[in-house]
Amino acid sequence: MSIGNLVIRRLSLLVLVLFGVTLITFAVSHLVPGDPARMLVGQRASEETLAKIRESLGLDLPLHIQYGRYMSGLLRLDLGTSIRTQRPVAEDLLTFFPATLELALCSIVLAVAVGIPLGVWSAVRKDTAVDHISRTYSVLGVSTPLFWLGLMALLVFYGKLGWLPGSGRINPFLAAVPRVTGFLLIDSLLSGNFAAFGDALYHLILPAFCLSFVHIGQFSRQVRSSMIEVLGQDYIRTARANGIRRRSLIYRHALRNALIPTVTVVGLSIGDLLGGAIMTETIFAWPGMGSYVVDSIGFLDFPAIMGFTVFVATGYVLINLLVDIAYLLLDPQIRGVG
Amino acid sequence: MSSTRSRLWLVLALTALLAFSAVLGACGGPKVPKDTLVVGIADDVDNLDPAVTMTNSSWGVTYWCYERLVDYKGSTTEVGPALAKSWTVSPDGLEWVFVLRDNAKFDDGSKVNAAAVKFTFERLLAIAKGPNDAFPTVETIDAVSEYEVKFVLNDPFPPFLYALANNGASIVNPKVMAQEKSGDWGQAYLSAKTMGSGPYKLAEWVKDSHHKLVLNTNYGGTAPSLKTVMIKIVKDPSARRLQLEKGDLDIAAELPLDMLKQLEKSDQVNVRTYPSLSVSYVYLNCQRAPLNNVKFRQALSYATDYAGIISGVYLGRATQMRGPVPNGMWGHQKDIRQYSYLLEEAKALLAESEVKTPLTLRYLYADRDPNWEPIGLSLQSTFKELGITVEMQKLAYATMRENLDKGEFDLAIGNWTPDFADPYMFMNYWFQTNNWGLAGNRSFYGNAQVDTLVRQAARITDQAERTNIYAHAQEIIMDEAPYIFLVQKSYDLVLRKNVEGFVCNPMLLDMFNFHQMSKK
Repeated sequence: MSIGNLVIRRLSLLVLVLFGVTLITFAVSHLVPGDPARMLVGQRASEETLAKIRESLGLDLPLHIQYGRYMSGLLRLDLGTSIRTQRPVAEDLLTFFPATLELALCSIVLAVAVGIPLGVWSAVRKDTAVDHISRTYSVLGVSTPLFWLGLMALLVFYGKLGWLPGSGRINPFLAAVPRVTGFLLIDSLLSGNFAAFGDALYHLILPAFCLSFVHIGQFSRQVRSSMIEVLGQDYIRTARANGIRRRSLIYRHALRNALIPTVTVVGLSIGDLLGGAIMTETIFAWPGMGSYVVDSIGFLDFPAIMGFTVFVATGYVLINLLVDIAYLLLDPQIRGVG
Repeated sequence: MSSTRSRLWLVLALTALLAFSAVLGACGGPKVPKDTLVVGIADDVDNLDPAVTMTNSSWGVTYWCYERLVDYKGSTTEVGPALAKSWTVSPDGLEWVFVLRDNAKFDDGSKVNAAAVKFTFERLLAIAKGPNDAFPTVETIDAVSEYEVKFVLNDPFPPFLYALANNGASIVNPKVMAQEKSGDWGQAYLSAKTMGSGPYKLAEWVKDSHHKLVLNTNYGGTAPSLKTVMIKIVKDPSARRLQLEKGDLDIAAELPLDMLKQLEKSDQVNVRTYPSLSVSYVYLNCQRAPLNNVKFRQALSYATDYAGIISGVYLGRATQMRGPVPNGMWGHQKDIRQYSYLLEEAKALLAESEVKTPLTLRYLYADRDPNWEPIGLSLQSTFKELGITVEMQKLAYATMRENLDKGEFDLAIGNWTPDFADPYMFMNYWFQTNNWGLAGNRSFYGNAQVDTLVRQAARITDQAERTNIYAHAQEIIMDEAPYIFLVQKSYDLVLRKNVEGFVCNPMLLDMFNFHQMSKK
């Protein structure tokens, strides 16, 4: 299958996915008893005030009309207005998403940069001390509670040693970085503010490390098992017998094939992180999507909940598309299939 | 050079650049200046518009960006002149005339005059989103002269003067209408900005990160010592505590009670405890059997371990409520009937009530307040002695409120803090029959005599007479026990030792008086 055909097919499926996701989310969120109008105006508001607010928010309309209105807005790329913040949901998501994406990408880059070489090394030195240490780390990585890890890291590196900052994306006493993309690392470079760039990077270290801790373990395990399987294949034995250098054998011949299942795991991890790592965001006061959606759910902020779900669902579809494209690039044999 | 070696050099160069940048970040960055106060709070606010927002956290950001006609005096619940230098009220309590000071200016330099006050209240009543409920009887507002404004009420409302110290009564610059969109009275704009005449103005709000307040150079009062206030959102209490101890925060709000004991030993911070008017109490659904039985409710009141809850849940930082009006507010009756944990008395009353046991009562609560669950567990343990099983029902907060409003519960727990310093906030909201549900009368209590008394007290202006009427109503209420009056909480705050000038007003919890504070 060509990449072009794959993209067209997946994007057309996106429409069906979004329809299903919005319908289910709408139904579930409206089934939960609760009145967002009451949350908005406070508990001592009179019935008249409440009725007026419900009418202004369209909450007094039948559910199918509310859903129809929402979908018609969605076709115009209008995600509605948040009941809680009174701002367009799209504006809220664009406010919080860059922070989440920046942290997610840094965590994934760190996890890939450490996890994949670790997995390769572990596979190549199978059953040695290196392999045992790596496998022990993998188990620790996937079983360590993130909340505990974050607090311990904060206590040690900020509280006791004072090496790293305690919270936030940047020192609020620095001159404000003009917002262009919402990514502080990019925006600070664009404005030539290297102090802000350094400070933003400095603030990223601890939360990115904590988030990547789990994924390093996951990726190294996956790469290790794939590499062991690939290294046992006949073509590797043939290549070795033909005198191909060890380095070339591992990285050019074996790793490329071993990466295919790892790409899936990496893709799923990115998708997971895009929803916002609520624990990490809470501990490190990172103003991302996780906190936004948790607050919205608690408030029964239907437009925000729907908008977030559409956003994340679209993200997952696009990430899966990128994963499949990566498959095609890694393994030309797959292009002939489908 | 081989491709491997050049790749290696590239990786090393990139790593060095990143490390250098991180070091730059670590070394650089301005520290907290002495004329800047940094406060750590648990949650960001949703909306800053005084005519819209109903949360203390939002008021904490904006209260000192605005001024009101009157303000609370120091740490008392008495109000005194602010924007208004004097006022008169007609004998029937329907006409209030305020004379404004002529030197107050909004942060853009324009005058705060009667027209601005008129605009503010018309806007508040038109938007009608909650803060307006503190002004239920305002009919018209007129600018009598440039600095005289008259309020005409359609019914006497004795707490009116106190309600004017409320955040909802903050005077807004009429120029907000230049930002109006689709008839919203500038709500979209003011949800994220301030346009007041207070000592500070909002300079920056980075959502879920921080609010930066700077001096309003047009402020008509004494210039504050603190030029900048940074309110940082630090959700995790452990992180907030760490930052306070490291000196990155000057004040850490809402720290859990179990941290305070350890912090009291610190030589870097002070733990201050103040009385508050904030209470926690249990609603008994008086419209459902067997809770519609007075003797049964009295039995429950005697089967509650008040001392145990105060020491075990509140770690001693609370006192038992005595009557519905808290200690510190006028109208509090210090000698009124108070229940205590007397199991034998409870059993005797249960027998008199003729309610058959064993039975099960559902206790409704949410995660909103971490104390609600242990309180429920305490009730579960002590009510078991009466043959009553308390079934704990935890719901999402929004759902819990829905159930409360509809009366779909047996027992439920709640907190209450007054919006203005008048017993009306407790006596009328909690016991008037037209407030059944979430609005205030959450026990769905109905007593015709109490109803008449509290409505009567809400219409007369003589405080001594109102005190007597409310006292009579309270005696009936305590006999009928529609609520379990649990605790009056203290307010605890942890500040760095070099922070001076903080004054705690029980009506202004978490609304720090930045303009009067300083750092040594």
